[in-house]
Amino acid sequence: MTFYLSGFRSFPKLWKSNPYFELGPATSSASFFLGVHCVIGNQQRWFSVKTTPPNSKILNLLVTKARTLKKGNDSNKQASSGPHYFAAGAAKKRSHLSGNPQNQGHTLPVKSTVQLPTKPLNSKEWDKLKEDFKGKASFEDFVISQMTRSCSSVDVAKSLLAWVAAKNNGIVGYNLLVKYLYLCVFHKQTSEVIDVYEIMKAKYKSLESGGYTLLIRGLIHSDRWREALLLLEDIKKVMVPSKKNYGDCIQGALLHQDVNVAWSLYQELVGHNLIPLLETLKAFFDHGKDMNDDQYSNQLLDILLYLRNNQLYPGESFAHSIKTWFESIPGRQWKGQFTTIQKSGQCSSCGRAIESIHLSPEEYEFLKETIMRDVIDGGDQYKKTTPQELKRFERFVKSCPPFDIVIDGLNVAKMFPKGRESQNLLSVVSQLAQQNLQLLVLGRKHMLRPSSQWRKDEMEQVRKQAHCFFADNISEDDPFLLYATLNSGSHCKFITKDLLRDHKACLPDVQAQRLFFKWQQGHQLAITKGFLKSKLTFQHILSYDTVVQTTGDTWHIPYDEDLVPRASCEVPTKWLCLQRKTPAPC
Amino acid sequence: MNVTVRFLRPFARCLVPYTFHRTRSNSYSRVLQRYVSSKVPSLPCHNKDSTSPPEQLELDGWKTTMKSSIQENGVSVVSDKDGDSLAATRELIEMWRLLGKEVPEHITEEELKTLMECASKSAKKKYLRYLYGKETMKKAKQMKKEMKAAAREEAKRARSLEPSTGEEQRDFMFLRLWDRQTNIALGWKGVQAMQFGQPLVFDMAYDNYMKPIELQNTVSQLLESEGWNRRNVDPFHIYFCNLEVDGAYHRELVKRYGEKWDKLLLTATEKSPVDLFPKDSIIYLTADSPNVMTTFKHDKIYIIGSFVDKNTQTGTSLAKAKRQNLATECLPLDKYLQWDVGNKNLTLDQMIRILLCLKNTGNWEEALKFVPRRKHTGYLEVSEHSQEAFRKQKKTKTLNSFRKGSLNVRMSKR
Repeated sequence: MTFYLSGFRSFPKLWKSNPYFELGPATSSASFFLGVHCVIGNQQRWFSVKTTPPNSKILNLLVTKARTLKKGNDSNKQASSGPHYFAAGAAKKRSHLSGNPQNQGHTLPVKSTVQLPTKPLNSKEWDKLKEDFKGKASFEDFVISQMTRSCSSVDVAKSLLAWVAAKNNGIVGYNLLVKYLYLCVFHKQTSEVIDVYEIMKAKYKSLESGGYTLLIRGLIHSDRWREALLLLEDIKKVMVPSKKNYGDCIQGALLHQDVNVAWSLYQELVGHNLIPLLETLKAFFDHGKDMNDDQYSNQLLDILLYLRNNQLYPGESFAHSIKTWFESIPGRQWKGQFTTIQKSGQCSSCGRAIESIHLSPEEYEFLKETIMRDVIDGGDQYKKTTPQELKRFERFVKSCPPFDIVIDGLNVAKMFPKGRESQNLLSVVSQLAQQNLQLLVLGRKHMLRPSSQWRKDEMEQVRKQAHCFFADNISEDDPFLLYATLNSGSHCKFITKDLLRDHKACLPDVQAQRLFFKWQQGHQLAITKGFLKSKLTFQHILSYDTVVQTTGDTWHIPYDEDLVPRASCEVPTKWLCLQRKTPAPC
Repeated sequence: MNVTVRFLRPFARCLVPYTFHRTRSNSYSRVLQRYVSSKVPSLPCHNKDSTSPPEQLELDGWKTTMKSSIQENGVSVVSDKDGDSLAATRELIEMWRLLGKEVPEHITEEELKTLMECASKSAKKKYLRYLYGKETMKKAKQMKKEMKAAAREEAKRARSLEPSTGEEQRDFMFLRLWDRQTNIALGWKGVQAMQFGQPLVFDMAYDNYMKPIELQNTVSQLLESEGWNRRNVDPFHIYFCNLEVDGAYHRELVKRYGEKWDKLLLTATEKSPVDLFPKDSIIYLTADSPNVMTTFKHDKIYIIGSFVDKNTQTGTSLAKAKRQNLATECLPLDKYLQWDVGNKNLTLDQMIRILLCLKNTGNWEEALKFVPRRKHTGYLEVSEHSQEAFRKQKKTKTLNSFRKGSLNVRMSKR
């Protein structure tokens, strides 16, 4: 209870007099201190998280400073200066900090009983090598597998095949042929690929997907690239070709300047509900540099919109391709820059505001309904709760005013293992209550039963300072959390450290999942500090949406850095900012 | 005449092992040889001298032979021309097999159709692997059978060589009718259980949560459970509740049991257990239950959900019990076992064996022997005695702690 006296007693008074009150400027120089502000406008209370330094130069300086600091001691847990909760690489860092190192990708020692030859052998040498070989698999199979693994030269493999053919009346098995083909394709030996293609065509009526894939990949570089399209047709007879197959064919078509075929293949690929490889899309942009065609440019812009709609982010080299393409458009003078976005949601290079993270009213309604229908109800109300409890909860929510913050009581209570659980909860609740926020604490009934972890007097205090709802012990509390937050309106935030992935998975389609994720990014507060002595601090919430976006004469494209691994629940932090200097002469 | 034959047979049977031993190695190798030789078409002929080139630059020679040797071959293949996707799939499977992938060698029309119905590529591959496994197993069984037959043949021949055995008559008390006798006895016990046995309910209301393959697994487990129950000293009276006539379950059960289905000593009903028994005596067993089973109660009716859940639809049976407002319990696995891997859902036959053991002995350690060994690393030391001690210690913890602490200090000093 000490912090009551020290830091927070004067807090409410202060923020009323000064709307941009800085919280403890002395705590750490490198961190942008995130204050929780609550500004009362005309009857509307909104809640936001803001950065204190408004000057971008200072901010940049601070960013670099923070980086050097971070490099200096990696283990220091300056969570508030670190990346936001959903930033690329954040999850990995978290797991690292919590002392849960990823097990290193241990490489199995490849035990090879045969020393792979480095130059072509004649048949006697092969015979000798075979005698030395002991193993289960057949000798030829084993050797050529090893060769593909270590990417031996084509000649060595060829000598092996010649030896096998000589032994076998001139017949080489299909598996050897495919692996040989792999080597040829790998080393880009187009003439060899064509030879193998001829053999396969003559010998087998149809091939299997692996062989087709390799042939397509090999043939697109040759003059006979159109036959790759025929092979694609052959695959289609049995199954849907992979995105790799389509990607190869498209690249082949682009390589030979047949743009129409490339685009029709692309349409087909998207029509099969396959997500194209980023390489494929990159190829379109790379090719676009030499083109000067309005239709082609429009199609490229369509690709960008496709990226937007499917929440895809280009890789670093793809981003470079996009940049060069834009800059190569004659007469429009696009200018591209790699940049980051400030926490206020402004692009550091052009200063324009990035799209807000908030959902549109229709999207919001849709999400609310889907959550209610699929996450809470889910076809069987008894799975997560009971109908009685659901009714009780709905009545309870209706009886209360809209909340500002919904707290996942159990998650918050267990966040700091050192303290008593009820004590943790109380400290968080009372710190928030002092800011005149309408709070809702969700929990389970067992929290009310006095025990060593749950003291009765502390729970009483919690109930005084916040609205509380206690679900049955076997019910899930997260769905209630989601619903209460959504029901209170767009200003309402919720506190939990849970990434809510299992609930996201309950949603029926990708579109709803994306909406949920967007909403989650904008409304989830994750506590980083806040136990007893330290003040309550949250991971900052993004105020802007990380997605490919345009305003007509600007494009902002987030991209993945090559060296930063990104979990699926995270978003990139780097952006490509494109703006047009002069308006288009339409 | 009749009698002597009957007496002779057991004797002959016990003679087999001895002769078998002598000839086993011999016959095995022969069968193996036959098998292998039938598989491998022909050994490659050695015409090394003609083809070994003086220089290794002669590397492309095989290509022309490949191409030329095919021409005559290729024509015949092309001739059967039908653009049917079924045929194309068949060819694809054949090519995959050449590549050494795990696909079946032979595939029937029906299986091919099932394959085409698979929604995704990975589903197709999975199904093919399943067929491959099935085929391999069948082949291995076939081979074993052949080997046994050969060994028997061998034994017979050996016996015929030794003429003066098994001629004499011997005196026995019983005819060899063990199987039939046991069946009758088990049937008798089953009838007793039908009248006076403790009910054990299998809830069959899960058929729409399961895929066909899971349903088949469930029915296999049910068969197994019923078998274990039948052989027990004091069987349960089994109820198959919520079993819809001509539902998927019913069809599968009738298919597996055949004619026996109508003669089974159990109660199959379309009714729900709630209609059959008083609600407060029902206990629904589910691994998701928050309540742990402490003892087996002989006056309760336990319900087991006959549900193989490969999709991890957690909480389905708990939701079912909640809806009907039934008491639930789960096995005290964590209390007695050092759990390692696998989920806590046990198979139906393991469940019934555990329950039978509890019913007869009431000993948890004994009963939990039926939990697969791979799932836990061993028993926890919570015998009755230590538990008591633990409780006592907890009570007097505050009193003892000081004294204990000081004692420890002294010990460490010494």
